Amino acid sequence: MNSFELIKRLCNTFGPTGCEDAVAELIKREISDDCQNVSTDRMGNLIATMRFGDLNAVKRKKIMVCAHMDEVGFMINEIKSNGYLGIATVGGISDSVLAGRRVSVLSKKGLINGVIASKAIHHKPRKDRKKTTPIDKLYIDIGARDGDQAKEYVGVGDFATFESEFYAFGDGYVKGKALDDRMGCAAMIEMMHRLHAQPAENDVDVYFCFTVREEIGLSGAHAVAFRIRPDLAIVLETTAVADIADTPAAKRVADTGSGAVISVMDKSTMYDRTLVNKAIETANNNGIKAQLKRYVSGGNDAGPIHKTAEGIKTLAISVPTRYLHSPACVAKLDDYETVSMLCEQLIREFKEEI
Amino acid sequence: MKRLNIDRQQLKSFIFSLCAIPSVSGFEKRAHNDICALVGKDFDEIRKDGVGNLTLIKRCGKENAPRILIDTHLDEIGLLVREVCEGGFLRVLPLGGIDVSIMQASDVIIYGKQTLRGVICSTPPHLKKDDELPEPFEVIIDTGLSEKQAKELIEVGTPVGFAPVYSELLNDKIMGKSFDDKACAACAIWAVANTPREAICGDVYVQLSAVEETNAIGGAASAVFAADPDYAMVIDVNLARVPDTKSFETVNMDEGVSISMCAATHRRLTLDTAELCKQKELDHVLVAAPDSTGTNATSINLVGLGVPVVDVGLPLASMHTYNEVISLKDAETLTSLVAEFICDKEIAAKYKREEELI
Repeated sequence: MNSFELIKRLCNTFGPTGCEDAVAELIKREISDDCQNVSTDRMGNLIATMRFGDLNAVKRKKIMVCAHMDEVGFMINEIKSNGYLGIATVGGISDSVLAGRRVSVLSKKGLINGVIASKAIHHKPRKDRKKTTPIDKLYIDIGARDGDQAKEYVGVGDFATFESEFYAFGDGYVKGKALDDRMGCAAMIEMMHRLHAQPAENDVDVYFCFTVREEIGLSGAHAVAFRIRPDLAIVLETTAVADIADTPAAKRVADTGSGAVISVMDKSTMYDRTLVNKAIETANNNGIKAQLKRYVSGGNDAGPIHKTAEGIKTLAISVPTRYLHSPACVAKLDDYETVSMLCEQLIREFKEEI
Repeated sequence: MKRLNIDRQQLKSFIFSLCAIPSVSGFEKRAHNDICALVGKDFDEIRKDGVGNLTLIKRCGKENAPRILIDTHLDEIGLLVREVCEGGFLRVLPLGGIDVSIMQASDVIIYGKQTLRGVICSTPPHLKKDDELPEPFEVIIDTGLSEKQAKELIEVGTPVGFAPVYSELLNDKIMGKSFDDKACAACAIWAVANTPREAICGDVYVQLSAVEETNAIGGAASAVFAADPDYAMVIDVNLARVPDTKSFETVNMDEGVSISMCAATHRRLTLDTAELCKQKELDHVLVAAPDSTGTNATSINLVGLGVPVVDVGLPLASMHTYNEVISLKDAETLTSLVAEFICDKEIAAKYKREEELI
């Protein structure tokens, strides 16, 4: 399977925060040839271990690579008597990308279609037409004739996600839901394929961790980091870029097409500078396109990981992505590739403490 | 005894096929060939006019028969490129009353020198101003192309439409774009195509009119003038009842078609059509649209010597979005009503015009 197909399958899989099982199953199947040692911890994190070099070496090093499996989504919080479903977001989704969207609802009878709706523009007073429709004025329509029929399918606490066509467009871009962070998962899977075909030569144990619950901040990665206590952690992510027309240069975070984004500082982490420098150097030495994140925004699993136990040196490498946390995330496949390549190279070159 | 045997799944597929043909308001002519390829064989004559109207004619084969017009509109809401700007992004204008609140991060198709995919840009969270939406003229589209590539492929004035994706909800409701008004066109075409010629009381003109969404009175009149019908039925979608709307300005889905009581349409033909529904046991509801139907009915009424017109509505939720919802049950009722209307001898006798157009 090529990168496009792999990312497409991962993105189209249903996996909101707290409901990542289907994504974990898909990943398990994908990596089964690369690695026999795959386990799931009590939080639902999937951990695959690959060992390289001299297994009896005294000074073996541990590297943890992680990407989160969950995507932003919705929880049903009310079944209305008219058959419509009230919703709350799980993870940060702006009200401005909700109205009119198709969703998949994980019902008692499997995935069913729905649409996030409100009254038509014709019925909105003029002043409301200039404003985002707030989530409490929106509801999911699954076509149920009344509340009783809706309850045959859905209950309070059930999950839903955006439903969005995954496609390639423009000059090497892809569009879909959940690029955050299924692209990170895909980058790890493809890296595992390459490391299986051509094993690393240094004495390292690499723990590939597909984590849960990143989007609500109560990260599953924390438990994995505590279990592994690696010498180095690398978080593979997506980062919002704002490289669109009409955005002033000062507000742009990074650029699509300019390669892997190395985080210097975000709302969860002040990154270790020697590690950041090592990543830049590795990218330069190997002809891999990379750029530094130029704006303090967002956060990711590096936050909980770098403060785990005695503290863990942590690096975040991201695919620059437009319209994050929307049904239409946009990223460039070339950028995706640089993230996977840079992380692989860092693993292959890791020997001593950085 | 039902006049038409309607296979719900076939009707659904037909609605999806017709609605997926792009027909952004003002660019209807580009849809004509695809529509003719889909349905042309079922009609005796096809007329295309300068405005972009498409008329499918099925003749009854009788002498001195009335001309019956069934009007629906062909155009759909969309966008128009007004600038190809830095980074290959497109600045656009709305064609028709688009709800800006549904635009950010939605999928579009750019009908340039090539057909291209695009995404409407969504304002990044750190740049958002509370709950304010961009003005329609501030909306930009991501083409994924460089400025140079975009300028080669996309000219100012290029139409942009929402991406067609069709799916099903519970209770035979369907969801997708441009049911307004091509779902109604599909029902009308289906009814006329599947009614045997011998049963029809007049020559039937199924009209798919242009620029209903963007022109104050629509483009229908020129085709109606050419057709010179004796009487007409105008079919457009009607706002379905959803939360936070009033019962008198909406119609319930799954309860059949709506028939507008309006000072600007023909009262007797309206009542006769309602009576026809009663006789044939077709679910319908009368709605009050005091001085305007908001459809082509009011302009068609005033063409030539005046055309008796009845305004019929198909309930639709989420109007003017890319995920409009209709009920197949209502679509079936509408299809049956069109078939009964063109076959009704009493209506034909009553509304056949004696006078000739001067």
